[in-house]
Amino acid sequence: MKKILLLLLAFTTIVSAALRVETTYSTLGAITEEIGGDLVNVHVLGSSKYDPHFIVPKPSLLAKLRRADLLIMNGGGLELGWLPPLIRGANNANIQNGAKGFLDISHYIPMIDVPTSVSRGFGDVHAQGNPHYSTDPYMVPIIARAIMAKLLELDPDHEQRYHSNLEKFSYRWQKYLEKLDAKMKQCKDKKVVQYHELFNYFLKRYNYKSYGNIEPLPGIAPSSKHTIALINSIKKNKIKLILQDVYHEKRTAKFIASKTGAKVIVIPHDMGADGSKNLEEYYSNIAKKLCR
Amino acid sequence: MKKRIILSLLIASSLFADAEIDAIKEQLQQQKEATLVMSTKLSSLEQKNTNQSASFSQNAYLPDMALILNMSAVSRDVENSEYEKAAMPGFIDEGEMNFPFNKNRGFNLNYAEVAMHSVVDPYFEAFANFHLHPNEFEIGEAYVQTTSLPYSLRVKAGKFKSSFGRINKKHQHSWNFDSQPLIYKTLFGPDSISDAGVQLQWIAPTDTYIMFGIEAMQGTNGRSFGDDSKNNLYIAYLKSSIDIGDDLSVLGGLSYAHGKNTDRKPTDIYGVDLTLREQLGSYSSLIWQSEFLQRNKELTSQRDRQAGLYSELVYQYNNNYSFGARYDCITKNETDLSAYSGVDTDNLERYTAKIDYKPFPMSRLRLSYTYDRSKVIGGERKDINEVMLSLNIAAGAHGAHDY
Repeated sequence: MKKILLLLLAFTTIVSAALRVETTYSTLGAITEEIGGDLVNVHVLGSSKYDPHFIVPKPSLLAKLRRADLLIMNGGGLELGWLPPLIRGANNANIQNGAKGFLDISHYIPMIDVPTSVSRGFGDVHAQGNPHYSTDPYMVPIIARAIMAKLLELDPDHEQRYHSNLEKFSYRWQKYLEKLDAKMKQCKDKKVVQYHELFNYFLKRYNYKSYGNIEPLPGIAPSSKHTIALINSIKKNKIKLILQDVYHEKRTAKFIASKTGAKVIVIPHDMGADGSKNLEEYYSNIAKKLCR
Repeated sequence: MKKRIILSLLIASSLFADAEIDAIKEQLQQQKEATLVMSTKLSSLEQKNTNQSASFSQNAYLPDMALILNMSAVSRDVENSEYEKAAMPGFIDEGEMNFPFNKNRGFNLNYAEVAMHSVVDPYFEAFANFHLHPNEFEIGEAYVQTTSLPYSLRVKAGKFKSSFGRINKKHQHSWNFDSQPLIYKTLFGPDSISDAGVQLQWIAPTDTYIMFGIEAMQGTNGRSFGDDSKNNLYIAYLKSSIDIGDDLSVLGGLSYAHGKNTDRKPTDIYGVDLTLREQLGSYSSLIWQSEFLQRNKELTSQRDRQAGLYSELVYQYNNNYSFGARYDCITKNETDLSAYSGVDTDNLERYTAKIDYKPFPMSRLRLSYTYDRSKVIGGERKDINEVMLSLNIAAGAHGAHDY
C-alpha cells in the first residue's frame, strides 16, 4: 500500500514537473514540442481548421490558461480578436503580457508587408505587418530558438536537454530545408493569386509573385466588381494558380477558376489544417500543392 | 670587391628604407581617410539613434479608446405619447417605465459611448465606459481590475456591471437583440445590476472550467433593492463550461443575489442560465441561450414571488449575416395586482425576430420585428407591433468581447 502511494506521489510530481505550455496555433505547438520534448506539456488553443483571426474564446480555454506556465503567441495582431479576453479572464499572473511566462514570437521575426499608414478604411490591416510568417519554413529555426531561450529562462535546470533538443532539431531542419529547396527549384510557374494574404512569406521565400487577392480588402468579403477585375488580371498575366485556404468559402475561387481556366489549390495555413501530422508534412504539403 | 658589395648593399637598404617609409606614409593616409569616413558615419548614426522625441511625450501610454454609436429608425403601432405610459402589471406601473433606447417612432440616437481601457501598472488594468445620452452624461462603468494576484484570484473594484447571470455583464451593443429581456428589464431596469462595489472571482485548478465569484455592492437599484443606507447587496455565482467534441461548448451558471429593498426588507433573486454554442465553421455558428430568474421580495404589506425567462436562438450564417429569434415571458407574478382589476395580467410575453448584417466586424445593421404582449396602456392590455432598423458602430481601439 505504502509503495503504491509512494509511486503515485512520484508519478504526480513527474506529471506536475512538466511545464504547461499553451500555444495559440498548431505550428507553434509542434515546434515547442520539438524543443521541450517530455519536459513540456503542450496544448494548442486555436484549432487549425478555423480562421486564425477568429478563434472562439470558449470558457474551456480559460481553464487551460488558468494553469499555464507559459503562453506562446504568434503576435502581429493575429490574436487581437480573441486572446485578450481569455488572458484577462484566466486570472493567471504567469501569462500576463510582460510576465515571464508570456512569449510573443513576432518580436523575433523580420515582418514583411508593414504598412506605412494604417486605417480601418483599408480593411482589417495589421499595423505590425503580415502576421502569417509561420508559412515560411525558414522561420521555423528562428521560432525554435526563441522558444528555447524562453524555456531556459523558465526551467534553467534542464538547460542541457533544451540545448541538445534544439541542436538535433536544427540539424534535422537544415537537412529538410535542403530537400525542400531542391523540390521548389523544379517549380517554374511562379504566378499566383490568393484569397487572403496568408502565404506571402512562403511565396517570397521561393520567388513567387502574388498578383492579387480574392477579398477586395483584408477581412472584407468578395465583391462582384473586384472579382471581375481579378479575372481580367488573371487572364492578362496568364496566372494558373488560385491559392485557397481551408476556412474561407470556396465558391468565389471556383467561379474565378471556371472563367479563367486557372486551378484552385487548397493550401494549409497552419499545421494540421490539411490533416498534416508534423512540421515536415505540413511544409511538404504546401510545396507539393504549389509545385506539381 | 668587398667595398662595392657593401656600398651597393647600403644604397639598396636606403632605397628600401625610402620605399618602406613611402609605404607606411601611404598606409597612414589610407587609415586617416578610413577614420574620417568612419567618424562621419558614426556621427550621422549618432544623430539618427539619439532620442529625438519630445521631452515629456507620453503618447505611448494613451489608453485604448473607442467610440460606440447606436441609433435606430422605429415603426410602431402605438403613438409615442401612449407608449410612454406603458406599464407591466406587477412590476412597472404607468409612468415608471424608463426608456433610454429606441423610445420614439421615427429616429432615435440612443447613445454615443466612449469606452476606454488601459493597463495601469504591472498590477492593475482600468476600464471605463462613458454613456452619453442626448441629454445626459453617465458613467456606465469605471473600475480597476487586478492582473497578477496569486491562486487564480481576481479583484474588481469601482462601478461595474455585476457578473450575475449571463447577459447582465454585457453591454447593450453586444447583446444578440437590441431590447433587454423582459425579466431583466422588470427586475433591474435598463442598466441591469450595475453599481459601486467590489468583486472577487476565483477559477478552480481543474480541466473543466469552474468559476466562483462573490460581489458586494451598494444596492442602489430601486426596482429590486434600493436600501442603500449602507452596502446592502451581496451576489454570488458559479459558472462552468464543458466542450463536447471540438465544436459544441456548453456554458451554465447559477446566480444568487441578496439585498434589501426600499421597505428595508430582504429581496432574494435566483438565476439559472444555459448557453449552447455549436461552431459550424470559422464564421458560422448556432447559439441557444436561455436564462430564468426568480425574485422573492418581502415587503411590509406582502410577499412577492415573481419569475420570468428568455430563450433565444441565433444562427450565424457567415461573417456578414446572422438570424435570430427570441421568446421571453413572465412565468410567475404573485403580487398585489389590485390596481389592474378587470385587466388580463396573465401571459405577459414577447416574440422577437431579427436579421443582422455586418459589412465589417466593427459595424452592424440590425432589422428586427417585435410582437410585444406584455404591456398595459391606459388600463388595457395593448399588443404592440414594432419594426426597427438599428445601426451600431464601434470605431477606434475597442477590445474583443468576452464569450
